[in-house]
Amino acid sequence: MKKTFKIMAGIIGATMILAACGNGSDSTGSGSDNKLTAWAWNVNVPVLELAAEKFAEENPDFELEVVEMGTSDVYSRLTTGLQAGGQGLPDIVLVEDDRVQGYLNSFPGSFMNLSEKGFEEHSSDFPSYKLDLLTVDGDVYGFPFDGGPTGVFYRTDFFEEAGVDADAIETWDDLIEAGKVIKEDVGVDLIGLDLHGDDGLYRMMLNQQGTFYFDDEGEINITSEESKRAMEVNKRLHEEGLVRNTVGWDAWVGSMVEGRVAIAPSGAWLYGSITQQGPDTAGNWGVMQLPTFEEGGNRASNLGGSNYVIPSATDNEDLAYEFMEFFATTDEVQLEAMEGGLFPSLNTIYGHELFTQEDEFFSNQAIWTLFADEMDDIPGVNYTGNFAIAQDESIKAQSAITNGKDIEEALEEANRQVENRIGN
Amino acid sequence: MNKQKYFPYLFLAPALILFALFTVYPIIASLILSFQRMEQGEYVFVGLANYARLFNDSIFTSALTNTFIIFIFQVPIMIFLALILATALNNQLLKLKGFFRVSFFLPAVTSLVAYSILFSIMLQDEGLFNNILNMVGLSSIPWLSDPFWAKFSIIMAMTWRWTGYNMVIFLAALQNLSTDVYEAADIDGAGKIRQFFYITIPQLKPVILFVAILSTIGTLQLFDEPFNLTGGGPGNSTMTLGLYIYESGFEYFDFGYASAIAYTVVVLVAILAFVQFKLTEEKK
Repeated sequence: MKKTFKIMAGIIGATMILAACGNGSDSTGSGSDNKLTAWAWNVNVPVLELAAEKFAEENPDFELEVVEMGTSDVYSRLTTGLQAGGQGLPDIVLVEDDRVQGYLNSFPGSFMNLSEKGFEEHSSDFPSYKLDLLTVDGDVYGFPFDGGPTGVFYRTDFFEEAGVDADAIETWDDLIEAGKVIKEDVGVDLIGLDLHGDDGLYRMMLNQQGTFYFDDEGEINITSEESKRAMEVNKRLHEEGLVRNTVGWDAWVGSMVEGRVAIAPSGAWLYGSITQQGPDTAGNWGVMQLPTFEEGGNRASNLGGSNYVIPSATDNEDLAYEFMEFFATTDEVQLEAMEGGLFPSLNTIYGHELFTQEDEFFSNQAIWTLFADEMDDIPGVNYTGNFAIAQDESIKAQSAITNGKDIEEALEEANRQVENRIGN
Repeated sequence: MNKQKYFPYLFLAPALILFALFTVYPIIASLILSFQRMEQGEYVFVGLANYARLFNDSIFTSALTNTFIIFIFQVPIMIFLALILATALNNQLLKLKGFFRVSFFLPAVTSLVAYSILFSIMLQDEGLFNNILNMVGLSSIPWLSDPFWAKFSIIMAMTWRWTGYNMVIFLAALQNLSTDVYEAADIDGAGKIRQFFYITIPQLKPVILFVAILSTIGTLQLFDEPFNLTGGGPGNSTMTLGLYIYESGFEYFDFGYASAIAYTVVVLVAILAFVQFKLTEEKK
């Protein structure tokens, strides 16, 4: 019996030593000299592939393998790879705006420092809010890609039927008043929100006021005046009975294209979903900028957007940088992204006719000009590495407020919670 | 002679090596991880700090409470339903037995994600469930946005999925029961319900214990339903231990803390299984 145990222990022990030795000896990325691997999701894939084709015109045997996977899979695998010291990671990864600081802060030294490679020469081609986001201690660590300039997508037919003039809406109060009229005359809710599960509108309103969960110094700022005002808007929308409860993405988009809500404040990227899923509603849409909290205030904000980063573990450092520099700063590539429904942050293309043309779906409004003009006014805000925790708590606060809790109390509670969770 | 002694182990080796590599190694590595914390991209030992943190973490407390609420209601309801179904489907008089058995078992082979998404569609404010309620004159229920109903929805979804699975286990056990006892009971004038409580349940005790332990482990690791249906909300009302482990690791990059929670769950499972053994122990 003892002997049996010894043998088994021997086998198990030996395997574990093997497993432990396995660390570090593996190399990362693709083997061949002129080949890169990238991780990205849906509409981003064709853009990368097209860029690779164009890049290959000057670099004959260049090859790019794009591994397509869902957004959350990219994060799971990226996190796992970084945990394992960079093993199994590709040369290029797509990361969203709200996540990128989390990665840069939690895994210092794990991503390529682009400033050392001379990326600064392109600084003026991108909006400052985007570069701020990718900067740690003065150095840039990611290639800005698409942005999410916000606007209120609204149903022109409902507005007309209710006799509401969208141009006259300047403040959130105006919008709420308009919502009441629309509800009464047309019988649809003003807006679809998931007040218990998502805080997109709240985040847009924070960003619009130049603040976020955290202030510029990185201190928790959930109890700020700006935050209270934003929650107040949420609360009033709810109390006036103007909110349609839409849980999850499909329910939200569905409520718009089925004509159950009159507006949808969102990033420019919503364009793709509305036009593809609601072809019947063509010609009945318009876009205005976010209303303000006081007349004459800032109406520009951002929701969503993404960036490319290069894990430092790549074997093909120079090639990866060259290709991504080409990708991020070549007009043709970025115009292709635009065609694919992404809103590029590279500002050298904003003069192109794709941006100035009128859009039939949107009652012949030049909506892209509106979004492009907004880019420079978007306040840069501090997401910090603790975005996910702060968002979790702010959604809980929002949910509690919706269920009747006092705004000040709920936000103070959220503030305390974030403090506890970060401090530990 | 000696050679032959080693022979069996040679055959066992592949399984043992795989077991060591993919089970024993991660178990030990995560135990070590649970005493560590990432600082500036490097793991450093922090002793019991991760475990100490559990005591002051209100999310962990709610996750624990929720998990137990779900456990206390869901497991007995499901086991009882499974027992009734198994007994009914074991009845000699029933026609189309195969059809019913397959129908009840089918949810167990459905992909966890697919079924969660279907439930989330049906539980929308204007989903199937509320439409039916409205049709019979009842008002809509906020299935996913109210703390109480969100828990209820999760219990309902879990019961739908797992009852059939447990039913099959009971069914197999029922078929091993001798019919003599039932015949005797019939002659003595015991009704079907009496037979169920006084013959079927006592005879199935070991199987019920087995199912109860499996379900306990499953419930303590509960992840898919809250992840897909409610995301742990509203508030923390459907946060479970499994979901909190995932969020701590993959959303907040705190793998050390996630491992500490995971080990706490292991200890809890062990305690609960022990209690269940004790409670149902045969008196000698």
